[in-house]
Amino acid sequence: MANYSHPEVLVETDWVKQNLGKPGIKLIEIDVDTKGYDAGHIPGAVGFNWQTQLQDQLRRDIISEEAFEKLLGDAGISPSDTVVLYGDNNNWFAAYGFWLFKIYGHKDVRLMNGGRVKWLNEPDKELTTERPKIVSTQYRASGPDLSLRVMLSEVLRAQPGKTCNLVDVRSPDEFTGKVIAPPGMTETAQRGGHIPGAKGIPWSTAVGPDGTFKSVDELRTIYVDQKGVDPKKETIAYCRIGERSSHTWFVLKYLLGLSNVRNYDGSWTEYGSIVAAPIEK
Amino acid sequence: MLPSEENPTPLVRLNRLNPHADFPLYAKLEWMNPFGSVKDRAAWALLRDLEERGELANGRGLVEPTSGNTGISLAAMARARGHRLLAVVPNKVPLEKKVLLKIAGADLEVISDELCPAPGLGDGSINLAKTHAKASAHKYAMPNQYENSKNVEAHYRTTGPEIWKQTEGKITHLFVSLGTCGTVTGTAKFLREKNPKIKIIAVQPTEGHDVPGLRNISQLGVSKLFDSSLVDDIIEVDFHLAYTRALDLCQNEGLLAGPSSGLILEGALEIVARDKSGFGVMIFPDNIFKYTSNMIKHIPGLGSGTQP
Ligand SMILES: Cc1ncc(COP(=O)(O)O)c(C=O)c1O
Repeated sequence: MANYSHPEVLVETDWVKQNLGKPGIKLIEIDVDTKGYDAGHIPGAVGFNWQTQLQDQLRRDIISEEAFEKLLGDAGISPSDTVVLYGDNNNWFAAYGFWLFKIYGHKDVRLMNGGRVKWLNEPDKELTTERPKIVSTQYRASGPDLSLRVMLSEVLRAQPGKTCNLVDVRSPDEFTGKVIAPPGMTETAQRGGHIPGAKGIPWSTAVGPDGTFKSVDELRTIYVDQKGVDPKKETIAYCRIGERSSHTWFVLKYLLGLSNVRNYDGSWTEYGSIVAAPIEK
Repeated sequence: MLPSEENPTPLVRLNRLNPHADFPLYAKLEWMNPFGSVKDRAAWALLRDLEERGELANGRGLVEPTSGNTGISLAAMARARGHRLLAVVPNKVPLEKKVLLKIAGADLEVISDELCPAPGLGDGSINLAKTHAKASAHKYAMPNQYENSKNVEAHYRTTGPEIWKQTEGKITHLFVSLGTCGTVTGTAKFLREKNPKIKIIAVQPTEGHDVPGLRNISQLGVSKLFDSSLVDDIIEVDFHLAYTRALDLCQNEGLLAGPSSGLILEGALEIVARDKSGFGVMIFPDNIFKYTSNMIKHIPGLGSGTQP
């Protein structure tokens, strides 16, 4: 598939259609607004709510290992299953889910290229309001791989340009500080702007008009040749709350195959509220 | 009740806001449609088409994405004829319109706005309505005003001929806004057939705007009805001016026009200054009553003194 470094983590809508209902293949729709799932989802797909099911509801954090095990167990998933994720907002939240599944060591997790909108707009693809019948499992995660995640202290120590690439995937108006968050968003920060040394490469750079990923050659031209992401250095991606950056993290790590890519999920809502942290506009 | 060549919506001349005597500007008051906006024309055509094709038999209802006006027209007409409408609206739509939709008898589904819109993508009200129509096809038929040629036809059949007759063929410039593009495509097609020289000017708000019903060119991908060969100029206007110009119309012309009309006026005044002579018609889609909360948001000081 388009010569991606790790083609096995991406499936097309047609592949999903051909494999509907096959044992060992599980579908999960991950939405920030689950009205989409409720109105209609791919037959057999379980729905996850990004805000209430993938976030710790007490402190600001990803869900704990136990919570992840319970979530997957209740969704009838086993560690050996092939899990295909897709969702709203161009798969941002599905990409965040992918990142979380990788942190908790799920072996075979994939994204459906183009997300729910692509499936919806293809005439031969069905949607249903029926919820799947689930036989719950005892899911056991394998220890968290925290190398995929960057915490604030490391971001503050990082030297973008020198020791690492720092990629800000938000919209140009967020990058320049014209707005702190897209209009109407509740999660925001105290200040607008970006982390000094970050390159502004909006998440949408990676996709075509139908929301599917660009080819590896196009991606390499954009990220490496034009935007100057140095493949030899570590790369950190961030956005506002860590979901758009999961999308770019996925692109850089699995499609382009950069060796060390991490997601800063604290992102601007954390960094932009730190007292005395340097900001560029 | 609905307008037609014999019974058109009014066309009135601006007296104060247009300084150019050689280029009169006329406003076509679309809020004089029975349910308060230009969208009555499209809604009626869409509804009749579904009925005629038997799509609404056996209690099947309708689902439609709308910024309010189409939904209000459709809901009122549908309820009068015994059908139900589920209106899917973006959260940005003003509260007045959401409540009016319920008053008109629509079921309402409000969705969160696009988080970080990208050209041609996103989930939005259109895709949620499509989801309902696909997953619950037995419950809902979707007219889809963004893709349905009946929307264009309605304007080709009514708006265009009305303007031609009301201006006695003197129109040189048509000023419109772009939403589904039914208005521009249908009206322009008719007028161009009568006189190929008529200039069609579309006025669009700046990106990231807050003018319900309208689209910036970057958002136009969703409308399958836009025909660029029928448009001479697309003028971009700072969206805040939609609100200040609407206020000007209310206070200086006695026309209680809504923000998309304000935007069209601003674009028309730019062309009047450029072309110097002509005979302009502006299509004013609806009036201000549904936008008081938006006016408070965008006109400084308007909200003050409204509490004891
Ligand atoms: C207030 C308002 N102005 C303008 C328009 C644009 O008209 P059209 O959809 O025919 O392009 C609409 C349509 O939704 C509207 O509601």
